[in-house]
Amino acid sequence: MPDTTPYYHVAYAAALGIYALYALSLYLRRNRLRGE
Amino acid sequence: MTNLKISWVSTAAFVAVAAAITRAVFFTPLELRQGAAQKIFYIHVPAAWVAFLAFALVAIASAVFLWLRDTRLDRFAESSAEVGVVFTTVVLITGPLWAKPIWGTYWAWWDVRLVSTLFLWFIYVAYIVLRGAVESPTLRARYSAVLGILGALLIPFIHLSVYLFATLHPLPIVAKASKPSLPGEMLLTLFVSLAAFTLLYIAFVRARYKYAEERETIAAAREAHA
Repeated sequence: MPDTTPYYHVAYAAALGIYALYALSLYLRRNRLRGE
Repeated sequence: MTNLKISWVSTAAFVAVAAAITRAVFFTPLELRQGAAQKIFYIHVPAAWVAFLAFALVAIASAVFLWLRDTRLDRFAESSAEVGVVFTTVVLITGPLWAKPIWGTYWAWWDVRLVSTLFLWFIYVAYIVLRGAVESPTLRARYSAVLGILGALLIPFIHLSVYLFATLHPLPIVAKASKPSLPGEMLLTLFVSLAAFTLLYIAFVRARYKYAEERETIAAAREAHA
């Protein structure tokens, strides 16, 4: 079996990145709303 | 910029996810045959569980909304659907990244489990687009409630698809009638991850619900001024 580590790293980075981006989008949307 | 306080649910979710990832990465043994790629399991399966939970709750809230016409249910369904799409996106990205080194391919268009999960994603993206397209709040809530219920019908189909059709995807190893076929340490890591990502779902939905609530309050105030 070849080394499967790169797939594991990319998958974790992608998943955590998506969750972080969504949290940021929620924060920014509420902030924009309050600024209006 | 206005200061937004970070809720205790969000803080708890952040700590829980950090703990679950730390356990999965540093304190869970490698699987012998798949190597490191098997650890994708601890983010892929919880994301799928949360996506199913999110859309099932959309369907329930939508059905009760059609009965009671309580706008809080519509707001909850809107929030849960959006968060469900985020988790399904994670499923659709981590799945192929796990599949490539193990199955030798990122995707198989003939595989019903994979394609029906993609369709589930499309349906709830359409749900979000529909909500943006209908201006009347009453019509928006009614139309999206119907779509929210119909979309969730795919969930039992996706779950059972691995039994009904030829597939590359493995059969359930935990959510099945017999005992889970996973060593204790790995099973515990899975349960920790399931709990952590469910908490993240609650934190996301709570924040999204509050956003929807504030947006509606502002819209109502504007209308009163006009």
